[in-house]
Amino acid sequence: MLASHHSSKMNKKRFTWENTVQFFKDYGWCYAFILVPVILFVLFTVYPLVMAFIYSFQKYSVLGSEWIGLDNYRSLMDSPVFWKAMKNTLIYTVATVPVNILITLFLALMIFPLNNKSQTFFKAAFYLPGVTSGITMSLIWLWIFDPTGAGLLNAVFDFLGLDSVMWLANPDTALFSLILMTYLGAHGAGILLYLAAMGGIPKSLYEAADIDSASWWSKLKNITWPLLKPTTLYLLVMGVIASFQVFEQAYVMTMGGPNLATTTVAYLIYEHAFLSFEFGLAAAESFVLGFIIIIISVIQFKFMSSDIEY
Amino acid sequence: MSEVRFVNVSKEFEDDNKGKFTAVNDATFTIEDKEFMVFVGPSGCGKTTSLRMIAGLERQTSGDIYIGDRTVNKAHPKDRDIAMVFQDYALYPHMTIRENMSFGLKNLKRPKEEIEKKVSEAAQILSLENLLDRKPRELSGGQRQRVAVGRAIVRNPKVFLFDEPLSNLDAKLRVQMRMELSELHKRLGATIVYVTHDQVEAMTLGTRIVVMNQGEIQQIDTPEELYKNPKNMFVAGFIGSPPMNFVRGRLDGNIVQTVEHALVVPEDKLLKYAEYQGKEVVLGIRPEDVINIEHLPDAPAQNVIEPVIKIVEHLGSEFLVYFGIGEETIVGKISSDYHMEVFKKHQLYINMEKMTLFDPQTQMRIG
Repeated sequence: MLASHHSSKMNKKRFTWENTVQFFKDYGWCYAFILVPVILFVLFTVYPLVMAFIYSFQKYSVLGSEWIGLDNYRSLMDSPVFWKAMKNTLIYTVATVPVNILITLFLALMIFPLNNKSQTFFKAAFYLPGVTSGITMSLIWLWIFDPTGAGLLNAVFDFLGLDSVMWLANPDTALFSLILMTYLGAHGAGILLYLAAMGGIPKSLYEAADIDSASWWSKLKNITWPLLKPTTLYLLVMGVIASFQVFEQAYVMTMGGPNLATTTVAYLIYEHAFLSFEFGLAAAESFVLGFIIIIISVIQFKFMSSDIEY
Repeated sequence: MSEVRFVNVSKEFEDDNKGKFTAVNDATFTIEDKEFMVFVGPSGCGKTTSLRMIAGLERQTSGDIYIGDRTVNKAHPKDRDIAMVFQDYALYPHMTIRENMSFGLKNLKRPKEEIEKKVSEAAQILSLENLLDRKPRELSGGQRQRVAVGRAIVRNPKVFLFDEPLSNLDAKLRVQMRMELSELHKRLGATIVYVTHDQVEAMTLGTRIVVMNQGEIQQIDTPEELYKNPKNMFVAGFIGSPPMNFVRGRLDGNIVQTVEHALVVPEDKLLKYAEYQGKEVVLGIRPEDVINIEHLPDAPAQNVIEPVIKIVEHLGSEFLVYFGIGEETIVGKISSDYHMEVFKKHQLYINMEKMTLFDPQTQMRIG
C-alpha cells in the first residue's frame, strides 16, 4: 500500500532519472521480495492458464497442434455427455452447499454457548476429520456404501428390515450417495469461522433483544443470522466453487458411473484430458466451467453482500 | 405502581482468576414510583450489577427483588416490564432506526398500526423523524443515544434502566443530553434507574442518589443531603468537585488541633462531639469553605490560617488553590475577584460553621 501510494505520487511528479533512482532506493527491496512469489505465480498459474486458453482453440497433439477455432466449444455445446455432467454438477452443488451451510451453522450454534473447554473439544473433534486425506475418507465411505450386507448402511437397513440398496452401483442412488457423504463430512472449518463470527457479535445486542422480548428463534432470525451474513456469504461462495470442481469422490468411489450418473464436469475434464488425451476439449471445458463459477460468484456477492458495522 | 424494591439482595460472581467475589452485598432499598434514582460510585462498586439484576440480565445470589407489587426473582427480562438503555447503545446494526425501535413491539406481536403510531410518537419526542430510515452507523453518537432512548420509550415500560448512557459522548453533548433526559423524565412521569460513575451527572439528574462502594451501599439520599450531610468519609470524598478536604486532628475543648493550626468549633456543634473530647478526629472542610479574607466584610477573629499557596488553577470565575496542612494537601475554591499568587502567603478563613467531623477508625460522620 505504501508503495502504491508512493508510486501514484511519483506519477504526478516528472518522470526523471533522479526520481526513478530514488524510487528504487526507497522501495527496491520491497519489489525484490515480491518478485519471488510473482515469478512462481506467473510460472505455475498464469502460464498454464494462458496455454490452456490457447489449447482450447486447438486440436492438441504432442507433435503439432492444429488450430480449429471454436470447434471444441461447439462440440461441447452439442455433447449430451457434457450437459449430463453439467446437470450432475448443478444437482450436486444445490443439494450440498446450502444444506451443509445449515448443518455447519446448526453445529456452531450448539457449540457456541458451551464453556471454553468444551468448545475447544468440539472444535478439534469437528476439525480433525478434515485433516484426513479425501482418498482415505472415500475408502471408508466405500465400506459404508458396500452393496453387500458387510456395508454399514446396508447392515443398518438389514437391521431395520429394509432391503439392501446398491448405493453406488445404482444410477438412481449413486449421486445421492456422494451428496450424503458431504452431509456427514468435514464441517470443521466452517464451524470455526461461524464460532469466530458469533464471538464477534456484541453480547449487549442479545441482552437488548432479551429485554425486547425476543424469543430464541427471533434472536436467531433477526440478530444472529443477519450478522453472520458475511461469513455465510464466504462459505457459500467457497462452497459453490469447491462443489463445481468436485472430482475426488467421483473418481475414487464411482469413476463417474454408473452410466454417467456421477460424472461431474471436473471428472469429465479429467477423462478427456488424461484418458482420451483430448487436451483441447478438456481445456475448453475448463474455461466454460471457470466462466460459470465466476458468474455465479458475482451474482452471490451482489445479492448477499452487506456492510455491517457495529 | 412501579416502584422497585431490593430486600437483602446479594450477588456473588465466581471468577477463575479472582475466585469468589461479592459484587453487591446485602442491598436493601426502595426506588419510589416516578422517582429518578441514580446509582453512583467508582468502577467495580456494584452499581451496574444492581441495575442488571433489576433488568434480569443477572440473577441475584440471594434476596428478593420486587417491581411494582410482584417479585421478579426468577422472571425473564421480557416479563419484568422494563426497558434498558445500554452503555454502548446496543442498537441492531443491520436494522434501520425504525426497525430498531419497533423490534420489541414486533416480538410482542402488537398490531402494525399500533407499532407505527408508537414509533412515530417516540421519534417526535426525540426529534428522530428524519432519521427513521437510516442505519445506526449513519448516525452521530448523540443521535444513536436518542434512538436507544426511543427504543425504550416505545415499549412504555414501568421502569426505565440507564446504564452509563452518556459516557460515550463528548462533554458538550453530555450536558445537552443530561438536560434532555431530565425533561424526558418529567414528561414521561416514569420511574428511572440510572447508573453513572460521574458524580456531577448523579447530582444534576437524580431525585435521590445511591452511593455505592465495593458492593456496599454507603448512603441513599437526595443530592442536597448527600452534599451537606454525608454519612461517611467515602461519600464526603466522592460527592462534590473538588472533593471534601480531610485533615487529621484532635478535639480539645472547643478546638480541633491539627499539626499546624488550632481551629475553633462553633458552640452549637460541640454538644454532638462530646464523646470525642480528647480523641483523634478527621476534620472535613469543603473547598468552598476556604475563603480569602479579602472577600469578607469584617476580618474574622479566629480560624484564619496563612499558608503558602503551592498551586493556583484558574477556572474563570474561581481559583482552585492548593496548600498543605501537615502532610495533607488542601484545596480551596476561591472567587477570582482578588488576585492570588503562587508561592506566597495568603490569609484564608476556614468556615467552621460548615465543618464535619469523622471518626478516623470507622470513617463515619460524628454527630
